Amino acid sequence: MNPGIIKTLVAKDASLYLRNRLFAFLTALGIVSFIVIYFVLPSSVDEELEIGLYAPVLPPVFELIQEEAGLKFQIFESEEALIEAVTEGDYAAGVALPADIMEKFASGQKPQITLYFPSDALEEVKDAVEVMIRELAYLQTGQPLAVELSTEILGPDMLGEQLPPRDRMVPLFAVLILMMETMGLASLISNEVEKGTGQALLVTPMSVTDLFAAKGVIGVSLALGQVVFFMVIVGGLNSQPLIILTTLLLGSVLVTGIAFLVASMAKDIMSVMAWSIPVFITLSIPAFGVMFPGAVTGWAKAIPSYYLADTVHQAANFGAGWGDIWPNLVILLGFNLVIVWGGIMALRRKFR
Amino acid sequence: MNVKRVSALLGKEFLHGSKNYIFIMAIVMPILISLLFSLVFGTLFTEKPKLGIVDEGHSQLVAMFQELDSVITKEYGTVSQTKQAVESGAVDMGIVLPEGFDAAVTRGEKVNIEAYIWGESLAKNRTILPVTIADLVRQMGGQEVPIEIESVTLGDEVSIPWSDRLLPIVVLMAVFLGGLMVPATSLINEKEKKTLEALVITPTTIGDVFVAKGLVGVVISLFMGVAILILNQAFGAQPLLLVLVMLLGAIMAVEFGLIAGALLKDFTTLFTIWKSGGILLFAPAIIYMFPQIPEWIGRIFPTYYVIQPIVEISQRGGGWPDIATNVFILIGLDLILIGVVMFTTRKTMQFAI
Repeated sequence: MNPGIIKTLVAKDASLYLRNRLFAFLTALGIVSFIVIYFVLPSSVDEELEIGLYAPVLPPVFELIQEEAGLKFQIFESEEALIEAVTEGDYAAGVALPADIMEKFASGQKPQITLYFPSDALEEVKDAVEVMIRELAYLQTGQPLAVELSTEILGPDMLGEQLPPRDRMVPLFAVLILMMETMGLASLISNEVEKGTGQALLVTPMSVTDLFAAKGVIGVSLALGQVVFFMVIVGGLNSQPLIILTTLLLGSVLVTGIAFLVASMAKDIMSVMAWSIPVFITLSIPAFGVMFPGAVTGWAKAIPSYYLADTVHQAANFGAGWGDIWPNLVILLGFNLVIVWGGIMALRRKFR
Repeated sequence: MNVKRVSALLGKEFLHGSKNYIFIMAIVMPILISLLFSLVFGTLFTEKPKLGIVDEGHSQLVAMFQELDSVITKEYGTVSQTKQAVESGAVDMGIVLPEGFDAAVTRGEKVNIEAYIWGESLAKNRTILPVTIADLVRQMGGQEVPIEIESVTLGDEVSIPWSDRLLPIVVLMAVFLGGLMVPATSLINEKEKKTLEALVITPTTIGDVFVAKGLVGVVISLFMGVAILILNQAFGAQPLLLVLVMLLGAIMAVEFGLIAGALLKDFTTLFTIWKSGGILLFAPAIIYMFPQIPEWIGRIFPTYYVIQPIVEISQRGGGWPDIATNVFILIGLDLILIGVVMFTTRKTMQFAI
């Protein structure tokens, strides 16, 4: 391997890339779009059911339930004000208790409780509120419950500090930005093969290894540069920056290896696109698993990008340390070695 | 423009173009994405609390939970499977119903239920699930409800389920993948292989070539847009109006495709534009996914005027008065883009000659 030749080739590719103003502009636009989407997405999680309550007489259990996490009761002075607030969509539901509720309970009669819902209330919310009001009535009338729940929290308890959707999407964005470079790098290599410039380069003192090293360096730099920029702007490096940077570096190597494989299979730029799309979709699946926990089962662990998305998620959102994520990094490194080696072998055959 | 020559070119585009990767992708990808969205995301985006149950006896509580619309219930064979499901977030809470549970409840004996809660489960779900368990157990024990409940729905807005929120992005993808990419790649291919030069030596004009390629794009785009709406059972009550809007959208997509094909030198640049600029095309659809984002932001993007009438007709049961203004804006945009296409045609003619 000749560092001088590699350096020259990297400088040539970088200069070609930057000289094309449209390319540079569009690459920047892509990153900016991801950043804009991130900041437009909700920055908080609506963890509580906000319920408006009109109660001329407040039964004791309703006072107790106000301390329950997950429910937030707002007392209204009049039923009209409650109806107006619910119609405006300020509350998930409104509960109006009759003035004689306690007397009716005492005399064994059934008081009528009115529940108000905004028209866009989901059925599950309506059912849930009804069930809760029923349960409160059972408690108020002193009817014992035959079951007792003994609970255990599994995983870090995020009560009150839930991850906003946009932070959950950070690993997905990171994976998407990296994956997009697969297409870019594969088309760069395919272009060299198509135009015969790759073979022309090999006539010079440059070896095949130098060529791959140079393409690898430019691929990793482009992918890593973009994803790190994105992560810095959205605050994705605020927690465990070293771990995240290491993971993103391994991710960049992964996409470079995949780009080699795609370029080796593709005949021209059109087939680069055709091969890239299924690869792109497959590699995105684990990141969707982070966005929607429990959506993907164990089989997702067979996809290399799982270890990238999971590590970024664990480190950025839960502050996981080296001790927690080292198996992920080792597996990702293993995938990298296999994929990059496979890509180089396949491309070497193509250049011959 | 010569109709005979355009027809001949059109025939050639359909015959040879259909073997092209982009042509196949323009047809296969929207269907795949639509199926994926409806199969997977339809249930993923739901905000219903999820409960996992291990039934060590044969409790009727499981069936009672499965009948509820407000809770998603999954049954597991063992405690470890339930714990695994809770840890991964597949369910918010996992409970273990011991053997003889129903009999104990009927006798009024106190029964202990082991419950595992996912650490990331929302507070409201942590409240709703135990309360629902309590409610069902009371029903099972035959306890009489001490109140009467009257439910009143206020206002006239309706909630938008996630399957509906995702439809605009799938429709836009179907319309623009075929409408934009097929003519653009076809033109760039002709330019790269120098066949455009060969064509203009014959009596065929650049205008004929553009019209033929544009028509192919319109046909694919319209066909795919309609196919996606049929697949998602979202054709609404005004199918002709919907097809008209889809046609105008397909024309817009094709115009973008022809402009890109005329101005760009190679596929790499086109794909870079698709991957980076594509997000601008789909921005209005992303805004539809999140109603918290003000709708006026969507109006900045030209594709808003395609997607708003489609959503209005297919999902909200709207008619001509609800979409007229936006359709006129769409027609205006299409006319402006035709002007741009004609300008770029001249540029391509200079390049080809």
